[in-house]
Amino acid sequence: MNTDATATPAVEAVDVSRHYGDVVALDGVSLSVAPGEVFGLVGPNGAGKTTLVRALTGTTDATGEVRLFGDPLPAVDRARLGLLPQSFSPADRLTARELVDYYAGLYDPRRARDVDAVLAEVGLADDTAVRYENLSGGQRRRVCVATALVNDPDLLFLDEPTAGVDPAGRRSLHGLVARLADEGTTVFLTSHSMDEVETLADRVGLVRDGSLVAVGPPDGLVAEHGGRARVLVETTGDPPALGLDGFDVERTTEGFVVADVGAADLPDVAESVVAAEVSPDAVTWAQPGLEEAYFRLTGEAFAGGEAERR
Amino acid sequence: MTRLRRLRAEFTAERRSFLRRRTAVFFTFVFPLLIVLIFGVLVQTDGGGVGLFARPPAFYVPGYLAVVVLFTPLSRVGSTVARHRDGARFEKLATTPLRRWEWLLAHATVNAAVIGLAALLLFVLTLLLTGVAVAPAPALLLLVPLVTLATILFCGVGCVVGRVAGSQDGVIAASNALALPLLFLSETFVAADQLPAWFRPAVGLSPLTYFARGVRALVDSGDPAVGVALTNLAAVAALAVVAVAAGAAAVPRTD
Repeated sequence: MNTDATATPAVEAVDVSRHYGDVVALDGVSLSVAPGEVFGLVGPNGAGKTTLVRALTGTTDATGEVRLFGDPLPAVDRARLGLLPQSFSPADRLTARELVDYYAGLYDPRRARDVDAVLAEVGLADDTAVRYENLSGGQRRRVCVATALVNDPDLLFLDEPTAGVDPAGRRSLHGLVARLADEGTTVFLTSHSMDEVETLADRVGLVRDGSLVAVGPPDGLVAEHGGRARVLVETTGDPPALGLDGFDVERTTEGFVVADVGAADLPDVAESVVAAEVSPDAVTWAQPGLEEAYFRLTGEAFAGGEAERR
Repeated sequence: MTRLRRLRAEFTAERRSFLRRRTAVFFTFVFPLLIVLIFGVLVQTDGGGVGLFARPPAFYVPGYLAVVVLFTPLSRVGSTVARHRDGARFEKLATTPLRRWEWLLAHATVNAAVIGLAALLLFVLTLLLTGVAVAPAPALLLLVPLVTLATILFCGVGCVVGRVAGSQDGVIAASNALALPLLFLSETFVAADQLPAWFRPAVGLSPLTYFARGVRALVDSGDPAVGVALTNLAAVAALAVVAVAAGAAAVPRTD
């Protein structure tokens, strides 16, 4: 991160709403993103992430006020923006190089970057001559990312950039985003992967039903809303009950889950496991993450990108 | 310079996309050939009679040319708009310096080049296969701006069709529904005096009518009626400006 908190915000949204008939896609969202910050927006499918990106880029008719670099949307210098739409599907008969070259051609030559260098950055140096239609799903997504980088944007919107990308490609794109942020690019990243935003973002916005339910640094959100760590005791057979007063113990098909266990509590938990003569296959002390914070804030589990009532 | 760079980038991408769609290229050039073969060779238009296809062969030249000038831009640009919208390409373009009218102009230029070639092929085939005798004259060069401007005009209309229709299938249906009546009610294959008197004023509402009148003034008489051709060329040009403005406004920028 290379942020300047005193500078004019790169993104500033005040009371932004978007309705589709009776459906509320965005409900009075306000947020601010500092220059050089990586802001991660996370929520299940249909939570309003893409609509918020559209509202911030002026590609949906939202109400409220949006300013980028201090300018209202119509006055924003579009050459400073980069956008990867969620469902982006460029011309499929062009090669990877031709596609990126096409988008480079839309910008002033002083702004446009070297096409081959951009393709190399996203890991497609060996596939520049392959038509988009003949690339794999992950390679296609990487071409799409390249089209968003080709003008060296000051503010980059990436709407689920790693959707369909394999783990290696995902790590590569994570590295790319981190490097861009180090170089001062403001990144607005949406994802339905908690791990992804937890890894990349300086601050995270949790969105549900078109509303931001919390905003803050990942560590802060977890510390404030994620609860304490849990101990998972995996056993086979039919284990006896654990005698642990003051702890919430849940029996599962794999064994036990002991909730809200701090480091100081670990000896007590271990003693009770021994005392109960449980033969564990594995004992894990799991730290809470954004997923737990999301659950505690919304009452919804975050599984596979889909919210589930629990 | 930057604007020219944007136009060139959009033009190049669209040209490549079109030329690599072999089916589209094939039918763009074969469709006119079919029309000439069916009407000019099989049906055999003939002068002196009454009813459809009873005029001298030269009368139908504007109709043959109208087929490519009308159908191809309507369906191609309309489908392109639908395809761009489905692929969130307009969403992305809205965050680039490319203007809507620049996008349309680049696509119209590609269409004008392709349809210009198809029209030239069609014109030569018509002369060879139907026995139309057109005296070489400098005024015939007016066919070039007529075809070009009419193509641009219908590119603008195609953009509006693409905006209104919800899908690529919808674009095909809508463009056919629009093009078929225009093709037969614009003094192309059917003369105005063959239509009911009450309907004849409506012929003037079709942009294609001015294209047909302009082409006919150049090919359907001993000497080209340059004045008539220029008047209709001016009408086509004015309508093209209106259509491009409407088409540019119709290029989607939001969801």
